[in-house]
Amino acid sequence: MTDDSILLPRVAAYRNGAPRPLRLPAFLAGTGRPTVAILLLLLLMLPFLWLVQLAFRPADAFFSEDFLFTPTLEAFASLLEGSFPKSIANSLIVATLSTGLSLLIGVPAAYVLARWDFHGKRYVALWILVTRMAPPIAFTIPFYLAYRWLGLQDTVAGLVIIYLTFNLAIVVWLMQTFFATIPVALEEAAWIDGAGIWQTFRLVVLPLAAPGLTATAVLCFIFSWNDFFYALILTRTNATTAPVAIVNFLQYEGWEWSKIAAGGTIVVLPVIIFAVLVRRWLVKGLAAGGVKE
Amino acid sequence: MAAATSDWRAERRRALLAGLLPAVVVLAVITLVPAVGLVVASLTPLSLLDPAKTFHFANPLGNYIELMGDRRFIGSVGTQVKLSAASVALQVGLGLGLALLLNGSSKVLAAIRSIFLVPMVLPPIVVALIWKIVYSPDISPMHRALEALGVPVRSLIANPDTALWAIAVADTWQWFPFTMLMVLAALQSMPVEPLEAASIDGANRWQLFRFIIFPYIRPVLVVCALFRLIDSFKAFPLIYVLTNGGPGTVTEVTNYYGFVEAFNFSYWGYGSAIATLILAGVFALSWLIARLGLNSHDGR
Repeated sequence: MTDDSILLPRVAAYRNGAPRPLRLPAFLAGTGRPTVAILLLLLLMLPFLWLVQLAFRPADAFFSEDFLFTPTLEAFASLLEGSFPKSIANSLIVATLSTGLSLLIGVPAAYVLARWDFHGKRYVALWILVTRMAPPIAFTIPFYLAYRWLGLQDTVAGLVIIYLTFNLAIVVWLMQTFFATIPVALEEAAWIDGAGIWQTFRLVVLPLAAPGLTATAVLCFIFSWNDFFYALILTRTNATTAPVAIVNFLQYEGWEWSKIAAGGTIVVLPVIIFAVLVRRWLVKGLAAGGVKE
Repeated sequence: MAAATSDWRAERRRALLAGLLPAVVVLAVITLVPAVGLVVASLTPLSLLDPAKTFHFANPLGNYIELMGDRRFIGSVGTQVKLSAASVALQVGLGLGLALLLNGSSKVLAAIRSIFLVPMVLPPIVVALIWKIVYSPDISPMHRALEALGVPVRSLIANPDTALWAIAVADTWQWFPFTMLMVLAALQSMPVEPLEAASIDGANRWQLFRFIIFPYIRPVLVVCALFRLIDSFKAFPLIYVLTNGGPGTVTEVTNYYGFVEAFNFSYWGYGSAIATLILAGVFALSWLIARLGLNSHDGR
């Protein structure tokens, strides 16, 4: 498979009587680009793969120069003994609840924004964009002070609420673009048959938007799961999430590299699994989250 | 008949409003109220040590005036500018290069494209740990390779001359996929005819890029750069884990200084003033994006 953008100029130059350009041997010409791409891929992924291999290294070979070692699960087993499982559970609960809540509130709103032209709609859209842009520290200080007063510090509920600040914006923004691609004719047919707006939404629109809904849910889950800043400031011991727990290995318990590597690998796992499962939609979602379609 | 239609219209309006309202109310409570709270707090000397000064507005601009003379704050803005400029330039460049490289029709290229996105979806804290390892000489693959080549270097994050650039490299690694993804999407929606026409007219690869591809993707590059610029103001986990603002304060960006003032020293009023200034900067840039975004849309 040769690539047109490479081939055409050469053909053109040849036709114009220009001297023949220096050519790579045939077996290299076609594979040059993929080879470079694969080498770059390996180089760029090396730091990540290095973390993963450290997680499987036995303690006595941890600082050794050898690339070969017998993989062990010691580091993972030692994680089970401390409070790490509880932090993982906290992360799962917070991410799930925050995702569910932001879908529940955000999806109907996104539908309304996609279907209804009303005065001031532009401002609602702009407001949502600004929320996505706002620096977390601007939210953290008032939330921290309010939580001290409300008793929500170091609670799962407190984290779920503050994660709405970014998740709700994502849901409204993304689902709006998904709803906009669904033809209105189907809904109109249902309305003529006497179905109400939200009945039609539930029975006609939502099933059609299911792939987009899945992608949005996955993104919300990943963003909540990945959060470090809010959890660092708003939790202490009780509601600590996994990312904060790993950093505690770094600070309070000395340099426990094998625990850190194993913890990091565990935290990455759900993200990679989700990303692979909804690969196609994720790419669309990430792109749509970046610029307006 | 007309009455029935207007009845239906009114009911539809009510139903739609009912769908929109919860989100608007929740968003107002969790974004507008804290924003107002932040600005109000920034006008007071509120801190952990002196709770009596909670609603003390005798000198509302006191924090801002103090900031203007705070050398650590001014320094943090300079650090922020350096870090943002370096990391945005690097990641947009790398993202663009990779997008051009991967935009071929070969099956291998199509298959590996999505693997390049991994750094962007990794939890930021894991990215920070990955680079903590890379920059720790005793377990780092980079330091081992350099040693094997006979050029051992000491830790880049412990050295004041290199620490900030080491963070910029880590940030670039995390975020080049964003530009790559956006540019790839633009390249794949690009019409082929102008390229073919130019090839037949004898344009070389550089000319094709310079006069046809680049003008087409320029709006996307601008939007990418602005988005990443705004996000670069929020850089936190990398700095927290890699250098903690040090050595000294050479990697302390404005966002990090705000965090230190508000949560290490518990000067909440002062921290709020810093956060308010960052927020104002973000507003200004968002406004710019909204304008540019509309223009590039009309331009197509």
